[in-house]
Amino acid sequence: MIQIRGATKRFGPRLAVDALTLDVPRGQIFGLLGHNGAGKSTTIGMLLGQVFADAGTLTINGYDVYAERARALERVGAIFETPGFYDYLSGATNLRIFCQYTGRVEEARFREVVRLVGLEERIHDKVAYYSHGMRQRLALAQALLPHPELLILDEPSEGLDPEGIHEIRHLILRLNREWGLTILFSSHLLSEVEQLCSHLAVLREGRLLFCGQWRQFERNRRWIRVRVTEGQAQAETGLREAGLVAEFTTDGHGRLAEGGEVPAVADWLVRNGYRIETLAPIERALEDFYLETIHVRRSIAQ
Amino acid sequence: MFVAQLRNELLKLFARKRTYIGFGAFLFVQVAILLLLQLPKAKRAFQQLLESNGYGFEEYYSGLTLGLLIILFTVGMLGALYLALVSGDVVAKEVEEGTMRMILSRPVSRLRVLTVKFLACAIYSFVLLAFIGMTSLLAGVIYRGGLGKLFVYAPHEQLFALFDTREGLWRFVRGVGFMGISLQVVSTLAFMFSCFQMKPAAATILSLSVLFVDLVLRNIPYFAGFQQWFITYHTACWVRTFNDIVPWWSIVQSLIYLGALNLTFLVVGAMSFCSRDFKA
Repeated sequence: MIQIRGATKRFGPRLAVDALTLDVPRGQIFGLLGHNGAGKSTTIGMLLGQVFADAGTLTINGYDVYAERARALERVGAIFETPGFYDYLSGATNLRIFCQYTGRVEEARFREVVRLVGLEERIHDKVAYYSHGMRQRLALAQALLPHPELLILDEPSEGLDPEGIHEIRHLILRLNREWGLTILFSSHLLSEVEQLCSHLAVLREGRLLFCGQWRQFERNRRWIRVRVTEGQAQAETGLREAGLVAEFTTDGHGRLAEGGEVPAVADWLVRNGYRIETLAPIERALEDFYLETIHVRRSIAQ
Repeated sequence: MFVAQLRNELLKLFARKRTYIGFGAFLFVQVAILLLLQLPKAKRAFQQLLESNGYGFEEYYSGLTLGLLIILFTVGMLGALYLALVSGDVVAKEVEEGTMRMILSRPVSRLRVLTVKFLACAIYSFVLLAFIGMTSLLAGVIYRGGLGKLFVYAPHEQLFALFDTREGLWRFVRGVGFMGISLQVVSTLAFMFSCFQMKPAAATILSLSVLFVDLVLRNIPYFAGFQQWFITYHTACWVRTFNDIVPWWSIVQSLIYLGALNLTFLVVGAMSFCSRDFKA
């Protein structure tokens, strides 16, 4: 659906995106992760043709976003962290104004989308009286009205209360499962990305550190938690030297080496006189994966 | 879709409270000028001017004459300011408030967005100036109880002209029309600055600064021989339509000059707008 090849963008002396190459497959919820200034918003800006890339190509549905802008964005809806609206106009008028840049919207579709985002009661109120959550839902409605195949969501949950975050999450899942939309989702909220995205890209200082199915990646990298009553540091060194554990993190989490098994670790610890306090396989959360990826500072792209 | 987009742009302009505050401000200034014209000193000067040339004060101190005087003062005081304020906002404000990014995430070219906005701006300017023309005339007519004959005096343009009611009304309407065309350059100038990466207020201030410097330089005796190089010389071309024998060639030259300026401002603004990055 989205193909980015060697996209580079520089703002003055700062390299915002560095030769980014990325594919977003059709039908996926694809997460874009990274710190502030990692290049997520610039990447989204380039995809929407709002930011001009210094080098590289970006295509949506096979159309170049700069040379064939109208065709590339024909079936794309986008929302931003702080969506701008004409506060002095009603929600309905705002929707009509934005949608007339894409094409005519049938009344039935209008009602369906407004109902979907839960704004039917307030759609004729002025946007000035909307809460932040309602503005986000209105933004989602304007993105959905022109029958998109691709939704680009830049920090859609930013500033929402827990209930709002929950609502948006479920809406996104529904749009993906029931409407079959491909969703490019950029967020700081790791828990949201974890619950929504199967595929993700991790950016740091404009460079791509990881791209792929992070759960699959983690499944191939089995982790255990090892705690011994005495000599934790020596036990970790010993396990590494014995080739059973590839690496240890500071909190006693170890990644099993290729061919390494939990019983073999237990056996080694007992044979070497350690008293085991804890030994269990663990499933790592996205946060662990993300922080490791960010701090390792090397590309582990699949 | 072009017409629908243009209609939306006009809706955005005319749905704003500020638009009507502007119209209200003009009404207020018009009434204030009408009152000032009633001051004995102002009235006496007017009477002296007419009677020393052999014309009757009561005959020419009419609704039409007062209407034209009100326009001259109102547009001189507020016209450029308000046109620059609205046109300086039209792009920059949308960028500042984030609505431009929403628009530019749509499959629409930047040039189309800009064209629609410029047309809306031009229509707005004409509506505003037509409003000033109508309300000025109305104020004069209500005060004097009728249209009466028209007297026009503009020393800068070496203009002293008198018309009967029928010809006066025609000259008045035509003059206001030409004023609308010539003052379009103020809108376009502010529109151009609005396309640059700057705050809306900066676009307005810059436009007014350009016009102010132009006006000041034009009035310095050293530049008397270079009048035709100044924007404000050409924006005043509408006043020349009140000459007994209208200097059409001079007016057309001014309009060509203003048209070329409009085109230049538009192209420069469009180039800036179409090549810049839009980011939060």
